[in-house]
Amino acid sequence: MKLAVVGKGGSGKTTTSSVIARTLARRGQSVVALDCDSNPNLGISLGIGDLETERLTSMREELDEGNEEHAPTWDTLLTRYGADAPDGVRLAVVSRIENPEPG
Amino acid sequence: MRLAFVGKGGAGKSAICGTFCRLLARRGRRVVAVDSDPLPGLAYSLGLAIEYSPPIPPEAVVERAEGETGPRFRLRPDLDPGEAVEAYSVAAPDGVRFLQFGKLSGAADQDLFRPQVAFRHIVAGLPRGRWDVIGDLPGGTRQAFTGWGSWAEAVLVVVEPTAKSLLSGRRLARMVEIEGGPSAVAAVASKVRSDADVAMIAERTGLAVLGAVPWDEDLAEAERRQQAPLDLAPRGAGVRAVASLLDEVLAAGLGGLDAPTTASATASEAP
Repeated sequence: MKLAVVGKGGSGKTTTSSVIARTLARRGQSVVALDCDSNPNLGISLGIGDLETERLTSMREELDEGNEEHAPTWDTLLTRYGADAPDGVRLAVVSRIENPEPG
Repeated sequence: MRLAFVGKGGAGKSAICGTFCRLLARRGRRVVAVDSDPLPGLAYSLGLAIEYSPPIPPEAVVERAEGETGPRFRLRPDLDPGEAVEAYSVAAPDGVRFLQFGKLSGAADQDLFRPQVAFRHIVAGLPRGRWDVIGDLPGGTRQAFTGWGSWAEAVLVVVEPTAKSLLSGRRLARMVEIEGGPSAVAAVASKVRSDADVAMIAERTGLAVLGAVPWDEDLAEAERRQQAPLDLAPRGAGVRAVASLLDEVLAAGLGGLDAPTTASATASEAP
């Protein structure tokens, strides 16, 4: 399943995403949560706290400023720029996905 | 005065900004409300029924001719920003002028690039002292940190007492570090239920709180009905709080002190 949640600011995108992600994970699915928001708050709703959320955000800023190389593969991206959230959800704060591979 | 409202989506920027603009105009100032959100919001809070029209026409912008120097896109040379704001803005209640570049309609071939260039040139080029420029930026941090607020001399960050809004507020507090950015950044507490909420917003954002707008069912109802808070509940707690915020902003000289007034600065403030 690949699911994107969109909508106007403040309408509940982040909260909805986090509950879907953790509920799926509790049902035994392997879940990756991607925060593509320019103002990323998904970590807070998933429950990793604002310090860890800011740590992921600052890693993306390094990428955006060209100080870091973009991850060449999904696995690298999740290892290098991800964090473990409750229920086994893996969260990454991402900017854009270049050369996306199918699957 | 050149003042921009920023904050996380849903914090109450548009409702506060629209009410602020009209109250300022009622005090006899010439106000242009500038909306750089591609989604609707500010117009409703001003009391305008328009959604997707009228955008700034793409013809307001010309591309640099071959061999010329300077930026690739600029305002058509015969367009003076002071006149363009009259031509491309619409009249809102209380004499406020409303300027937007246009709204996303959902059409696949829609291109707001030229209207956006025109909008930025017009706002940046408005002659000082003729207008109070009050802006509503889209929710989040992107526009705030990519030059869309650079016309503003002061920025008010609207923050509600939720973890996500507080974190966004803390990020937006760094706008004061932008080179050529606003010289002052302060917070407006929104949807607060207690003094403790206000204190938490000050502490967690590191910003001085210039005004506190309480949780107000009238403001929520205005959003539901697509009405201006000032028309639905002119004496409600939310509107009164924005009036107090305006007093604070004027007393502090926030956003620049020039005080343009209309010829007809009358007693229209009396409700």
